Amino acid sequence: MRPLDPVVTDALGRRFGAVVALRGVGLRVGEGTCLLLLGPNGSGKTTLLRVLATALRPTEGRAWVCGYDVVSEGHRVRELCAFLGTSPGVYAGLTGFENLCLAADLCGRPRRQVAELLGWAGLEQVAHRLVRTYSLGMRRRLALARVRLQEPRVLLLDEPFVGLDEEGTRLVGELVTGIKKQKGAVVLATHDRHRARAVCDAVAELESGTLLSSGTAGLAGAVSRG
Amino acid sequence: MKAWRRVAAVARKDLLLEWRGRDAVLPAGSFGFAVLLVLGLVSGGGGEAAPSALWVSVLLAAVLAAGRGADREGEEGTREVLLLYPGSREDLFWGRWLALCVVLLVLAAGLWCAQVLLFDAPTRGAGVLILAALLATAGLGAAGTLLAALVAHVRAGPLLMPLLFLPATVPVLLAGVRLSETAASGAPAGPWWGVLVVFDLLFLLVGPVLFELVVEG
Repeated sequence: MRPLDPVVTDALGRRFGAVVALRGVGLRVGEGTCLLLLGPNGSGKTTLLRVLATALRPTEGRAWVCGYDVVSEGHRVRELCAFLGTSPGVYAGLTGFENLCLAADLCGRPRRQVAELLGWAGLEQVAHRLVRTYSLGMRRRLALARVRLQEPRVLLLDEPFVGLDEEGTRLVGELVTGIKKQKGAVVLATHDRHRARAVCDAVAELESGTLLSSGTAGLAGAVSRG
Repeated sequence: MKAWRRVAAVARKDLLLEWRGRDAVLPAGSFGFAVLLVLGLVSGGGGEAAPSALWVSVLLAAVLAAGRGADREGEEGTREVLLLYPGSREDLFWGRWLALCVVLLVLAAGLWCAQVLLFDAPTRGAGVLILAALLATAGLGAAGTLLAALVAHVRAGPLLMPLLFLPATVPVLLAGVRLSETAASGAPAGPWWGVLVVFDLLFLLVGPVLFELVVEG
């Protein structure tokens, strides 16, 4: 039977040769929830996000996004899920407008949304400048606009606050809140616990690829420990 | 989601990046020209060596051009983003293929002009040459797109690319040389059109399927 929650993992594991990046991770992220993933460097946060995004195959266990298996139904998962990694993943040789037009064409969204999203990200003045002239923060805003264009039900964010000013942080919050309102789910991995606290409802802590704890109760405690 | 829209988007993106950066056409074209020049010097610039020199230079330039698109995605960290968009990954293959074919045609045209000047080669049989170039480009584009995706994740990718690409595309080299010779002499082409067609069919049919498996990792 398909799991009902937007994100479910069962005994999920991933090895890179002899290195165990994830081991026996069992998670459940409910509708309208933003899960904060915490853990030191190398604890498996990014690996977990990349497995959920179908960028990596698990070597053990299973994972489902919106009820679809990330391995056997990866194409369905990609229709419902968006991943924003540590690199903004935008083309420096294209303009901001061209980058979003490419995303719109690849996602099957109307191009008329592009101008609106550039305005949302505060990039309308630089929309027709090559992205190589953008600052890191501007590139990340453009990546946020691209993710919003995808209209995902599940959003996976890896260190989304890096390079962002207060306005950029507000955009992340708006994006996360919008998905929660649509009964979607967000998994957010960061070391910036305080900025994440404003939007997260639950917390999971990873260490050496193993899930130490997860749930809603420990959020305040986990954040204050940081 | 319309496949043609996705294919056109990827091709447009690759061609725009190439137009602005010229980081495939210029190095690959210069390299091809250098090969042509060296072969011209070695062979004494005789017209009979011209077809071999042309096709060897086209093939070597194609190795560089084919690898460049994949390298660009790796450098900008966009490969994963591209693969995680919804929709069939075969569309990405066709978009890349289309853009690479345009680049290869530009290279082939430039190298042909250089060959005519350097070797004082005859220009008759241009129709045969153009058809051969179109067929060869379609196959080389498919092979290049597939192999570039295959070596993209390998640390020694730039080294591996010619090792895989050159042996795989020997039929195109042989067919191209023979067809160019027969075009110049007016002799019958024999089985060489068939060789080009079979090569194209093989890579155009198998390429998109294998591409999906390769990028899936």
